[in-house]
Amino acid sequence: MTNGFRCISVLEPELIGFLHMRRTRVDKVNAELVTLTYGTIVAQLCQDYDSNYQDVNKQLDKMGYNIGMRLIEDFLAKSGVGRCANFRETADMIAKVGFKIFLNVTPTVTNWTSDNTQFSLIFEENPLADFVELPDDGRAQDELWFSNILCGVLRGSLEMVQMQIEAHFVSDVLRGDDTTEMRVSLVRYIEDEMPPEEE
Amino acid sequence: MAAPPRHATMQSISNGGIVPGTDRQQTQQTQAQLSQQSPGLRVPSNRKTIYDRHLNRSRNTELSRASFAFLFGEMVTYAQRRVTGIQDLEKRLNEQGYPLGLRLLDLLFYRSTSTSSSALSSSSTSSSPPNRPLRIITLLHLIHGPLWRLLFGRAADALEHSVSPDTPNEYMITDNDPMVNTYISAPRDMSMLNCAAYVAGIIEGVCDGCGFETKVSAHNQPTELWPSRTVFLVRFGDPVMEREKVLERAGVK
Amino acid sequence: MAAASKAAISSSAVLGSISTLNNPSLLKMSYYFTILSPTDTPLFNIAFGTSKGGGDGIARFRFPETAQYMNQFIIHSSLDILEEAQWTNGGMYLKHIDTYPPAAAYISAFLTPSGARFLLLHQPPNLPSSTSSSSGLGSSSLLGTAGSTTRASSSSIAANPTSPQTEEAVRQFMNEVYENYVKTAMSPFYKQGMEIKSPVFRTRVTAAGKKWL
Repeated sequence: MTNGFRCISVLEPELIGFLHMRRTRVDKVNAELVTLTYGTIVAQLCQDYDSNYQDVNKQLDKMGYNIGMRLIEDFLAKSGVGRCANFRETADMIAKVGFKIFLNVTPTVTNWTSDNTQFSLIFEENPLADFVELPDDGRAQDELWFSNILCGVLRGSLEMVQMQIEAHFVSDVLRGDDTTEMRVSLVRYIEDEMPPEEE
Repeated sequence: MAAPPRHATMQSISNGGIVPGTDRQQTQQTQAQLSQQSPGLRVPSNRKTIYDRHLNRSRNTELSRASFAFLFGEMVTYAQRRVTGIQDLEKRLNEQGYPLGLRLLDLLFYRSTSTSSSALSSSSTSSSPPNRPLRIITLLHLIHGPLWRLLFGRAADALEHSVSPDTPNEYMITDNDPMVNTYISAPRDMSMLNCAAYVAGIIEGVCDGCGFETKVSAHNQPTELWPSRTVFLVRFGDPVMEREKVLERAGVK
Repeated sequence: MAAASKAAISSSAVLGSISTLNNPSLLKMSYYFTILSPTDTPLFNIAFGTSKGGGDGIARFRFPETAQYMNQFIIHSSLDILEEAQWTNGGMYLKHIDTYPPAAAYISAFLTPSGARFLLLHQPPNLPSSTSSSSGLGSSSLLGTAGSTTRASSSSIAANPTSPQTEEAVRQFMNEVYENYVKTAMSPFYKQGMEIKSPVFRTRVTAAGKKWL
């Protein structure tokens, strides 16, 4: 599906994200409906799993994975971008185009490891967590990653473009942390011919 | 959802209050036991909590419709695995919508009291706070207009009252193209499923919150022009209808 | 007591409006505020006193040892009236709805559209036998900066629980609590009928009381 595509470098990722937001107002929905619906999902999971937050985290990740696998097509169609040359470019594309299109936020990409296989996404804004206060049960703030679905989304969508990654939150303002940070690690490129050789 | 009897006291006008005294005594005992102190949640060093976030901050902000469709689709898929049939599934979606209705109701009224351009009244110049709906028709207009606009950016397409003398308690709100059905394809073995059951639950929450005990269900009523046209059937309970008569006689609007 | 009078003095001197407190405790109201769910479950309650006009914000109910139960009893006994008012007046703020003469208590009510009820009980202090209290601490200096002695009793919020000024102050208080209540209720983990335990919420209600009452 993606073979033969290249990153379109004519436009900066920021610009692609911005143009997309301008272009497609018909495809919009009230942000609060999304926020409240996501909150409903998490609250329902907590109820179904009897506040076993580890299981809730896992289930959220699984849901995100399912979404990610389908979302990537939508993303490629909407953004018009193709395959990225390296993981650093991928990170930029995720933050400045992907998150912009789907959540209208642009997390900061930072804290790269020297081998360029791990980075952090820092979220200044997180529409999923608007209005949210975690249960005051002495555990939720230590165990629940409220926005964990996002980790699954990244994992699922990148797998569809031949990247196996691992993603997890390391901090969340809902837990009383000063930032909301997700750590993303490249495990491997799935196809043998990956990464693409330099042309 | 384990629902306590909602608004057991609705008929208070006609019979001067029917809450059993025992309930209230119990309530008083519980009240004495209310915990006064809680250590509370940890907060970031800037001390920001939900109480510091303005309720209008995300008003009028938009997101990709695909994001909603993906989330909602997962919600339906997940719910489907925990139920045995369409009715169960619709019931579950309805129950998930219900608390949302209560929240949106408070949010709508908050916004219309706190800003000059009221979300509820048609005349944006009026600065007096909106009234809680006391009569069925006021309530239905609130749902058909302001609630639909908040959720879907437009009013619903029709609001009708049953003409049958047997069902004066039935009303219909029609949406020709419900957003929740746009991107959601029902699972193959559930072709009759209408995901708008979620919206039906939201409506039920709004009605119940306002003190109108109601059952709301979503029904596929496709036309050639509108293949996913959905009718929300709103059925008010007997106590509501009786109160309605009393209020009518008393001239309450 | 001395501290309270002192606060009253300095504040009166600055404001110059409410300055006729022969006995600072005379016009200080005690308040008991509670939130009830649609099915009468208590979700939150707090007691406080007048802060306006130099009040110290501390509740001094007439029968301190039984106040907690008394206040709840009085509030619950007003619920029938509230439920009747609920269906004749579509406002959220229903103003003063009930009086309980044995305790000289007044009840004001606010209904959220989703069915929660905010109830505020106000109770004036026991009126001391009229003239003997005028030897209260600091009374002379207060009178020194004062206008007329009668003005304050008619304009002070505390003086008259049913005056337009009081109704307006209570409205502002209720609106501010409502805003914070909506913030609580918007969280996906808050379910209708759950007790509100957040200390931040309590702080906000306390602040609203200080600001308006």
